This record gives sequence, structure tokens and C-alpha cells, in this order.
Amino acid sequence: MNTNTSLRDLERNMYRDSIQDGILDIQIGCMLLMFVLPIYLSPKLGDFWSSVVFLPLWFLVIFGLRAYRKKVVQPRVGRIQYGTFRKKRLRRLNRIILVFNLIALILGLLSFIQFTELSGWIISARFSIILLIGFSLAGYMLEIPRIYLYGILISAAPMVGEYLYQNLGFSHHGFPITFGFLSAVLVLTGLVILVRLLKKYPAQNQEHLV
Amino acid sequence: MSEKKLSENPLADINQIIHAPARLRILMMLYVVESLDYVFLKNQTGLSWGNLATHLGKLEEAGYVTVIKGYQGKKPQSQIELTSSGRDAFRNYKNTLKQILDDLPE
Repeated sequence: MNTNTSLRDLERNMYRDSIQDGILDIQIGCMLLMFVLPIYLSPKLGDFWSSVVFLPLWFLVIFGLRAYRKKVVQPRVGRIQYGTFRKKRLRRLNRIILVFNLIALILGLLSFIQFTELSGWIISARFSIILLIGFSLAGYMLEIPRIYLYGILISAAPMVGEYLYQNLGFSHHGFPITFGFLSAVLVLTGLVILVRLLKKYPAQNQEHLV
Repeated sequence: MSEKKLSENPLADINQIIHAPARLRILMMLYVVESLDYVFLKNQTGLSWGNLATHLGKLEEAGYVTVIKGYQGKKPQSQIELTSSGRDAFRNYKNTLKQILDDLPE
């Protein structure tokens, strides 16, 4: 009888139940729109402003969803303060994501500088590898297997986009199609999970227990 | 951890407050986290509000759990925590049970 393993499983299941509300999926889906929306906005706003306009929109979505989780989802699912193990793991994930973003930024800048020298395939391959590593790390640290699948799908997007661009003449390296499609898939998946969760856990109050 | 000597009737060494399945489940859950609220505990255990309140009352009476009452805006928002004696009692329960089962012949 290995009680530590079963307690560890119990903790993991409780942790997963507390975060599996689909909001992360919707957030990632909306994040992918950064490869789609600015492309359509740039003819009107220019490259710089089309990218800048996207950020407040994205933050609005992020904070809106967080507020929704706090006001609507958590009162139904319940609140949990994680133990030391989980807190450490999540803190470590934040640090890794920060370092990873810095590395991705440097590689992105290098690709931008060498943009005319490098072929589209090499830039897409770099981009795919960064995305795959990033999502794999996030999937491992967050212990949500679905994130690995997202990582595979999203990391394939630049390569598929490049193929569509070079062989079928799609614009902007095929990004609007590939990332737009994935964004729709992730947002829909998140919405389905969220609706199912809201149906499973109707609103309840604990006032009579206090 | 050193194994303590069990009495003639080893089952008598089992903490009966913890041994009830519902209370054991509650304590196991509280053992692996810092705190939980009633709603999370109810959803996870599948107990009714009445049963949950009864079991928590018994655990609170034994000094194993503590309820920290608070508010989230105007709504009550109480968190339930395992006390240090509750943590020790659960650990002892775990070791006693493990020892009894280990001592059983194959």
C-alpha cells in the first residue's frame, strides 16, 4: 500500500478539478489571434498600431475571463488553496515561462534581423520548435495532458502555414488560416468544457453552514 | 518512522473519528492542500450539506479541523483547514493502518 502515491494522485485530481474550467483553453485560443487579427488590421492601421491595438484587447479578454472565473465559476466549483508542493510547482512554471519568453524574444529578434537571408521554412521551423517546447513545458508543469496536444497542433501551424503559402499561394505565410482555425478550435473546446462544468455544478450557497 | 507497538487488539488502535469513510476522505483531502471551502469539499466528497456539516462538526470537535470564517464581498466565504493535531492524527492513523495491514499474513 503506497499511501503517498495515492495522496499525490488525490492532490493532482483536486488540483485538476479546480482549474479544468475551459478558461485556459479560451485564453490560449484568444492568444493565437495575435497571429491573425493584426494581419487584417494592418492595411488600415499600419504594422505597428495593428499589433499595439491587439494587446489591450487581449488583456481585456484575460482579465474578463479571470473575473468570470472568480464571480461565476469558483462559487460553483469551490475554492482551494494549494499545498506547498503545488505552489512551488506553479512558481517554478512562472519562472520557466519567463526565461522561455526571453529566449523566444531573442530568437524572434534574430529571425527578424536575418529575415531576408533565411528561408521561410527555417523561420517557421524555429517558431514551431519554440512553440512545441513552450507548450510541452507548460503541459508538464501544469499537469494537464490536453496542453501537450495543443502544443503539437500549434507547433504544426507555422509549418502548415508555410506549406500553404509556398504551394497554394495563401497570404502571410498561411498564418491567418492555420492560427485562425486553431484559435477557433481552442475557444470552442474551452466553451464546451465551461458549459459542461456550469451544468454539472449548479450555483449553490454555503450560507446555511456558516 | 519507527513502528510503534500495537496492542493485543490492533483494531482498537485505529482512530475511530478518522476511520469513518466520509471523514477519512475529508481529512485526506485537507491533508494534501492548505485549505478548501465547503463547496469544493461538497463537490469532491459527494456528501449532502447536512452530512458534510455533521462530519465537519465531529472533526472540529476533535480539534482536527478549523473553520476560518470570512467574506468574499457580502457573501460568506469560509475556508476549512487541517490543524496541526489533525495532521498528526491523520499521519498516525495512516501508519497504524499500514502496520496492521503489513502484519497480516499473505
